[in-house]
Amino acid sequence: MKIVKLLLLFAVLGIGATATVMYSGVVNVAADEPHSELVYWLLEETRENAIKKAAQAIDVPDLSEPELLLTGGVDYEFMCSGCHLKPGQSESDMSLGLYPSSPNLTIANKEHEGHEHDDDIQAARKNFWVIKHGIKASGMPAWGKTHDDQRIWAMVAFIKQLPTLTPEQYQVLSAIE
Amino acid sequence: MRTLTKLALVLIPTITLSMTATAHDPAMHAKEADKADCSKIDHSKMDMDDPVAVAMMKKCMKQDEAAKKSMEDMDHSKMKDDDNEHNH
Repeated sequence: MKIVKLLLLFAVLGIGATATVMYSGVVNVAADEPHSELVYWLLEETRENAIKKAAQAIDVPDLSEPELLLTGGVDYEFMCSGCHLKPGQSESDMSLGLYPSSPNLTIANKEHEGHEHDDDIQAARKNFWVIKHGIKASGMPAWGKTHDDQRIWAMVAFIKQLPTLTPEQYQVLSAIE
Repeated sequence: MRTLTKLALVLIPTITLSMTATAHDPAMHAKEADKADCSKIDHSKMDMDDPVAVAMMKKCMKQDEAAKKSMEDMDHSKMKDDDNEHNH
């Protein structure tokens, strides 16, 4: 009985503390004021592991088909480049303003911190999942609501080649026909 | 009566002109998409096993074909002769 009362007390205290934090407005939600290293690490690890688990069963098709690059390139230019940049670009208003900042997709996946050991298949799975489902409270939309899987795979194929493209190659592949 | 006429003469054009403002198409502000600039691509250095190179070739060929078709569809008989204009 004592243990039950103790647990109830902790539960009430926990709810009270949560309500206090929520309604007091003490939490700083400004995107231009970064989290502490510990909070950032906790959030990032949670996110990466959630995506890895959710994407593990995805079958990756052949991404070497040139036609995929033509569709993916145009979509990337109009839907992605504002945040994720294009060859020859190191920042944009969106990439500077978002927090967490949108990854620069013009650099190779393995050069991103925390992704040094990703292989191409794993990277493709994760990219597909993130493009399709988005990420909560991050600014990354769920493009799957308006784009079918084939179109998303085309974007994944294009993103795979993006780090190898010169600005001239990018311009040709991303131009509307 | 004269006052009413004057009022009508002012109001009718004003209202008519103000209605044209709503006809402005927001799409006019949309970013104009650039066509592929195929002039800087060196075809002799392309590796045809590279999907990037093949995709670029396809894009540029489609663009060339579209440009040629557009030229063929033009009514050349209605084009002004520049030489004749200079001679006058």
